[in-house]
Amino acid sequence: MTSNTPLNSPNSEPESPQSFVPEVVPEVEQENQSSKPLPRRIPSWRFWVPLLFQSALIVAIPAQDAYTSITGTPITLQTVPVDPYDLLRGYSQTLNYTISRPDDLKKLPGGKEFFDTHPSYERASLYVVLEAPQSANTTPPTPWKPVRVSAKRPTDLAPDQVALRGEYTGWQVIYGLETYYMPEDQRNQLNAEINQAQRQPGQPQQRPGQPQRQAFVVDVKVDAHGNSVPVSLWVRDRNYRF
Amino acid sequence: MVTENFRRQLRQEAEKWWQDGLIDASLYQRLSDRYHLEEIEASASNRFVTILLSLGGILLGLGVITFVAANWQEWSREFRVFLLISLFVGVNVAGFYLWRKPAIGRGLQRLGHGLLLTGALILGANMALMSQMFHQSGEVFELYFIWGLGVVAMAYGLRLVSLGVLAWILLFIGYWMWWFSGSFAQMSSWIGMVMPNMALIASLVFVPLAYWCRRSRVLFCLSGIAFATLFVFGIKPLSIWQYREAGWLVAIAFALPPALLWAYDSHLWQLSRESGSRVVSPVPAPVDPFSAIARSLSVWFFSFLFYLFSFHWLWDRGFFSPSSDAWSGQLWRHLDVFLFLVLTLLGWLRLSYRLRYLSLFQEKSVNNGAIAIFTILTAAIFFWHTSVQPLPVIAPFLVNLMLFLLAIALIRDGLALGTRRTFWGGMSLLVLGILSRMLEYDTALLLKAFVFILCGVGVIVAGLYFERNLKPAKSALPANSSQEGTP
Repeated sequence: MTSNTPLNSPNSEPESPQSFVPEVVPEVEQENQSSKPLPRRIPSWRFWVPLLFQSALIVAIPAQDAYTSITGTPITLQTVPVDPYDLLRGYSQTLNYTISRPDDLKKLPGGKEFFDTHPSYERASLYVVLEAPQSANTTPPTPWKPVRVSAKRPTDLAPDQVALRGEYTGWQVIYGLETYYMPEDQRNQLNAEINQAQRQPGQPQQRPGQPQRQAFVVDVKVDAHGNSVPVSLWVRDRNYRF
Repeated sequence: MVTENFRRQLRQEAEKWWQDGLIDASLYQRLSDRYHLEEIEASASNRFVTILLSLGGILLGLGVITFVAANWQEWSREFRVFLLISLFVGVNVAGFYLWRKPAIGRGLQRLGHGLLLTGALILGANMALMSQMFHQSGEVFELYFIWGLGVVAMAYGLRLVSLGVLAWILLFIGYWMWWFSGSFAQMSSWIGMVMPNMALIASLVFVPLAYWCRRSRVLFCLSGIAFATLFVFGIKPLSIWQYREAGWLVAIAFALPPALLWAYDSHLWQLSRESGSRVVSPVPAPVDPFSAIARSLSVWFFSFLFYLFSFHWLWDRGFFSPSSDAWSGQLWRHLDVFLFLVLTLLGWLRLSYRLRYLSLFQEKSVNNGAIAIFTILTAAIFFWHTSVQPLPVIAPFLVNLMLFLLAIALIRDGLALGTRRTFWGGMSLLVLGILSRMLEYDTALLLKAFVFILCGVGVIVAGLYFERNLKPAKSALPANSSQEGTP
C-alpha cells in the first residue's frame, strides 16, 4: 500500500504501546526507579515543606473566622421562616435573614441608592448597619434592628451599632451566615422544633414586608471589618450551640 | 511496557537457553539483573500484600472517621483542631518515612505510599471540617481547588505520580463544579480570576510535574487533556457563538489546542540553534519524550471536533441564546489565549524550520502538513461562520470532508506502520461518520440497509487485510518520530 522504506532515524522516541518490540530500556528503568533507588535519595525537607504548606492551608481556612469569633461583637439576627419541606436535608441548614432580602433593605436609608446603582449581574459588597435592641437580656434575645445600608464601610458608628458586611448576588444578599452545620443526632429534633415554632398557633401570620418576630433567631459575632461568624441558634427559648 | 508475563516467560526461556548452552551464566545473570527476574515471585506476593494493606488502610480510615464523627460534638473546638492536625501530620509522617526507607521491604514501602495518599485525602477532609466548624458557607469548588493545590505541592516534593493524578482529579472536579455553578460573572472573588485561566494554570502545574516525576506519561497525558478541554471551556465558544465581534475567539478556541498539541516540544527555546545550522544531515534535534502523546491528543481533539460539528443542525440553528455575561469584550479575561497563541506560533515556526532538512514526502498521512491544513481550515470556517457570514451548507460539508480525510489518513497510517490502534481509530471514525451522516439526512431504508452492510463488510475486510498484512518488522523501526507522532 505504501512504500515501506525503513527509516534509519536515530531518534528513538518511545513509540506507541502497540509497537511490537517494546522499548524496554526506559520502561525497565522507570519501573526500577519508581520502586527502588529513588526513595533513598529524597531528602526530608522535600516532604516537610509541602506538609507545612498543607498545614498552613488547613489553618488558613478558619483563621479569619476564628479571629472574628474572638474579637467580634455579639449580635442577634432575625431569620425568616424556612420552608418546612426543605428542612430535613443533609447535615446543614440553610438560613435566610430579614436583611437577606433586597426588598427589605431598599426601605432603609441608603438602600435604594445601593440597589439602583448596582446591576443584578454583578456581585457587590454592601454594609448593613444594625442597632442594638432596647430590651437586652431577653430569652430568646431580641434581634438587632437594621438601620441603614451603604456601599462603603461606615466609620461613624454609634456605640450601640455594628456594620455587617454582605454580598449582593443579584437576587439576595449573603453574609456567610447562611449555612449552619448540625450534628446528625440533633438534626431531627431541631428541625421538628423549628417547624413547630413556625407553625405555632397564635403567632401572628407573617406577611411580606411586616417585621417578623418569633420563629427563630441566630447569634452572630461581627468584627470591626464587618466580617461575621455564626455562634448559636435560638429556637424559642432553646439555644443550640454547635 | 514490560509485563510481568513477559518477564516470567523470559525467565523460563533464559533458563532453558542456559541449560542448552546457548548462553552462559554471566549472560543469564545480566538478563536476570536487567529484567529483575529474581523478584518476580516477590512482586506478585507483594502485590497481594499491597491490596490487603490498602484494604485494611481504607477500613481503618473509615473506622477513624466514624469514631470521630460519633464524638465530634462533645469535644471542644480547640481539641477538634488539635485532633485534625495531629491525625493529618501523623499519617503523612508515617507514610513518608515508611515509603522512603527501602530497607524495610517493599510491602511496607507500599504501605507508606498508601498512607501518603491517605494523608492527601485527610487534607481535604480536614479542610472541609475546619470550614464546617465555623459554619462557613463558601463554595465547594474553592475547597477542591485549594485541596488540589496542597496535593500538588506534595506531589512535587516527593515526585509521586499518584499524588499528581489525585491533584489533577481534584482540580478537575473543582473546575467543573465552578463551571456548572454558572459563577462565570463573579470576577470579584479570587476564584473568579483563577478559574477562567485554568487551562494555563493546569499546564503550568502539571506539565513540569510530568517531567519532574521521571517523565510520567500518565501525568503528561492528563495535562494535555486538561489543557485542551479547559482551554475550550474557559473560552465558552458556544456561548459567544452569536457575537460577531468574538468570532476570532471561537476560531481560536477550536483550532489552537490541536495546533499547540501537535507542535508541542519542550525544546522550543532551541529554535535559533537549529535554524542557524546549515548542515545537510543535521544531528537529530532533541526530541521531547512527550511529543508523541501530545500529537495523539491533537488527533483525538480533531476527531472529536470534526465529529461534533459534522452535524448540520449545529450550523443551521446555532446554539442557545447568549447569556448576558458571555461576551463582555473584556480581553484581559483571555490573557492565557494570547500566551498560548505565542507558544503555538513558536512551535510551528520550529516545525517549519525542521521541514527544510527532511523529505517532504513523508511516510505518514497525518503529518505536519495535514495538521496545518486542518488547523487553518477549522479556524477559517469558525471565524467565517460567526463573524463574516453564516455557512449553513459549506461549513458542515467542509467539516465532514476533514472528518473523512482524517479517518482515511489514520487508516492508511495504521496500515503503513502496522499500528493497530491508529488503524482501528481511523476505522471507527470512518464508520461513525458514515452512519451519522446516513441517519442525519433522511435517506430511504433500502439505502440505509445498503450502507450498513457496506460498512460492516468494509470493516471486516479491512480488519482481515490489516491483520494479514501487519508488518511487525516495520513497526520495530521507530517512525521518523521527530517528524510525526503516532496517534
